[in-house]
Amino acid sequence: MPTRTILAASGLVLAAVIAGAPFVLNEGILRLATECLLLLTMAQMWNLLAGYAGLVSLGHQVFIAFGAYALFLTSGWLEVTPIWVLPVAPVVAAVVAAIIAVPLFRLREAYFSIAMWVFAEIIGAFTMKSQAVGGTSGLPLPTSKLIDFDWFEPTMFWLAGALTLGTIAALYKLMISSFGLGLMSVRDNDLAAMSVGVDVRHNRFVAFVLSAAGCGLAGALSFMGNLYIAPLAAFDVNWSVYMMFIVIIGGIGTLEGPILGVIIFFGLRELMTGPLGLSGGWYLVGLGVIAVIVMMVAPRGIWPALRDRLGIRLLDVQRTSPRPAVVLPSASQQIAG
Amino acid sequence: MAPLLRVNGLSKRFGEIVVADAVSFKLARGECLGVIGPNGAGKSSLLNLIVGLVTADGGSIMLDGAEITGLPPHRRARMGLGRAFQIPQPFPHLSVYENALVAASYGAGLHGEAASSWTMEVLQRTGLEAKADKLAGALPLIDRKRLEFAKALASKPALILLDEIAAGLTEPEVERLVAIIRTVKADHAIIWIEHIPHALRAVSDRILVLNFGRKVLEGPPADVMDSAVVREIYMGLKADGVA
Ligand SMILES: Nc1ncnc2c1ncn2[C@@H]1O[C@H](COP(=O)(O)OP(=O)(O)O)[C@@H](O)[C@H]1O
Ligand SMILES: [Mg+2]
Repeated sequence: MPTRTILAASGLVLAAVIAGAPFVLNEGILRLATECLLLLTMAQMWNLLAGYAGLVSLGHQVFIAFGAYALFLTSGWLEVTPIWVLPVAPVVAAVVAAIIAVPLFRLREAYFSIAMWVFAEIIGAFTMKSQAVGGTSGLPLPTSKLIDFDWFEPTMFWLAGALTLGTIAALYKLMISSFGLGLMSVRDNDLAAMSVGVDVRHNRFVAFVLSAAGCGLAGALSFMGNLYIAPLAAFDVNWSVYMMFIVIIGGIGTLEGPILGVIIFFGLRELMTGPLGLSGGWYLVGLGVIAVIVMMVAPRGIWPALRDRLGIRLLDVQRTSPRPAVVLPSASQQIAG
Repeated sequence: MAPLLRVNGLSKRFGEIVVADAVSFKLARGECLGVIGPNGAGKSSLLNLIVGLVTADGGSIMLDGAEITGLPPHRRARMGLGRAFQIPQPFPHLSVYENALVAASYGAGLHGEAASSWTMEVLQRTGLEAKADKLAGALPLIDRKRLEFAKALASKPALILLDEIAAGLTEPEVERLVAIIRTVKADHAIIWIEHIPHALRAVSDRILVLNFGRKVLEGPPADVMDSAVVREIYMGLKADGVA
């Protein structure tokens, strides 16, 4: 069976599982699953930027915050159910990204990472000072009275599931397109990429804006689920730290890596804060230790190491060469002679 | 015939090191210019200046009558420059086929069927067809060198820049490479930096000698190779030319 068919079939199965899950799972697990899915989407977006365009952002929380605040404010102004104004979130985040790309792209490597963080901190500080957006204490979701709470958790889960599947499908589509080939060439060797005609700056810009849009949408969903937003939570640098952790241990520059990474991330969290009964602080220490071990043992992450050792292919984006279907030995000899 | 490439007074220095000192030369389609000079003379830097990976301090570069001196590398690549790096620069996690396909898609601007069939033709010409679906990162040196050439060729360049692609190869491998370069010479202009005299003589129409970023000599291969200047430089060159 061709890869595409298998992938499409798996997608359908997953969609069916997501559709049915709220009818079997209890609310606590459903909430956890929603959180996993949203963080997976964010990690995919962070990976798009870091893994494929070489830009390591420590300020991606700013896009989460822009998306979430945009949702809360717009939904309040228009007085409609937050779900209908969701599209505002990615648009606002994308516009912000497109604007700040101009000065930020002058910076490279660590300077870019730190400038992103500083930018997020500045916007966070302004938000805390600004009473119009709730200041330090934040905002409740103004239109939460319009929400049907019987279906709230399932709806959140469905939205998160749709976003995650949609994101992975879109990224897969992107990677098998010729733009994706350009992205992967930059990931592998930007010097060689520009030398064969790839516009590295343009790639970076597109990846940056897409990445911001995705995080804006996932962030909006995440805070919509809380029905409340406060600057300390929205502009928390841990958002970027988690995305980075998930991508780096899972496998940077691959579509499968963040999926594996998110499973490890939540598995570890549930294990350490649950059965082991450790506090949140120890959990972060544990994450750090694991990240360091993975970086030493498998610098490109766990997924690439597994893939190369076991020869498994999941979301395979490699283009195979168009060989002549079947060339009989005699026929090829005739051609050669 | 009007020259395809016209380099005029090209200059560049990195601090104290002068890598290009008012270098001027011309090159027409169908011509191959060999470039020699001791290590550190500025040969690779000359190519970096031409493709735009390094920006010139002064002088101009004209390609097919258009000034390209200030353009970014990807624009120059699309306008017809293809470069094979001295130290191979593959896309390690892409297959050999995909490596060349990047050049065919972006450098040559081909799509779909046209891109894939042209890519296969290039792989065939460079002897990489059998390894098309192998990861480029896993190739041995000879194939990495071939892949450099394949990427340069796949972008359908008017001018091909080759930086020591025969270095480190065995004699039969060098022979094969020379044969391949010969086949593309008719419809391309070529600048070929190489330390192997007989290989260079076999293909070059002229040879340019660089020393400390300065053009010391330019002329027919036989004249240049036998000149006193080159003999003097070459004594030192043979020793590190092996490296
Ligand atoms: N980007 C750079 N920054 C600083 N020095 C450089 C740079 N590129 C090359 N050089 C120096 O310029 C000199 C010429 O280098 P190169 O052009 O690679 O010589 P060649 O190819 O003739 O051996 C060397 O001394 C090298 O160290
Ligand atoms: Mg060199």
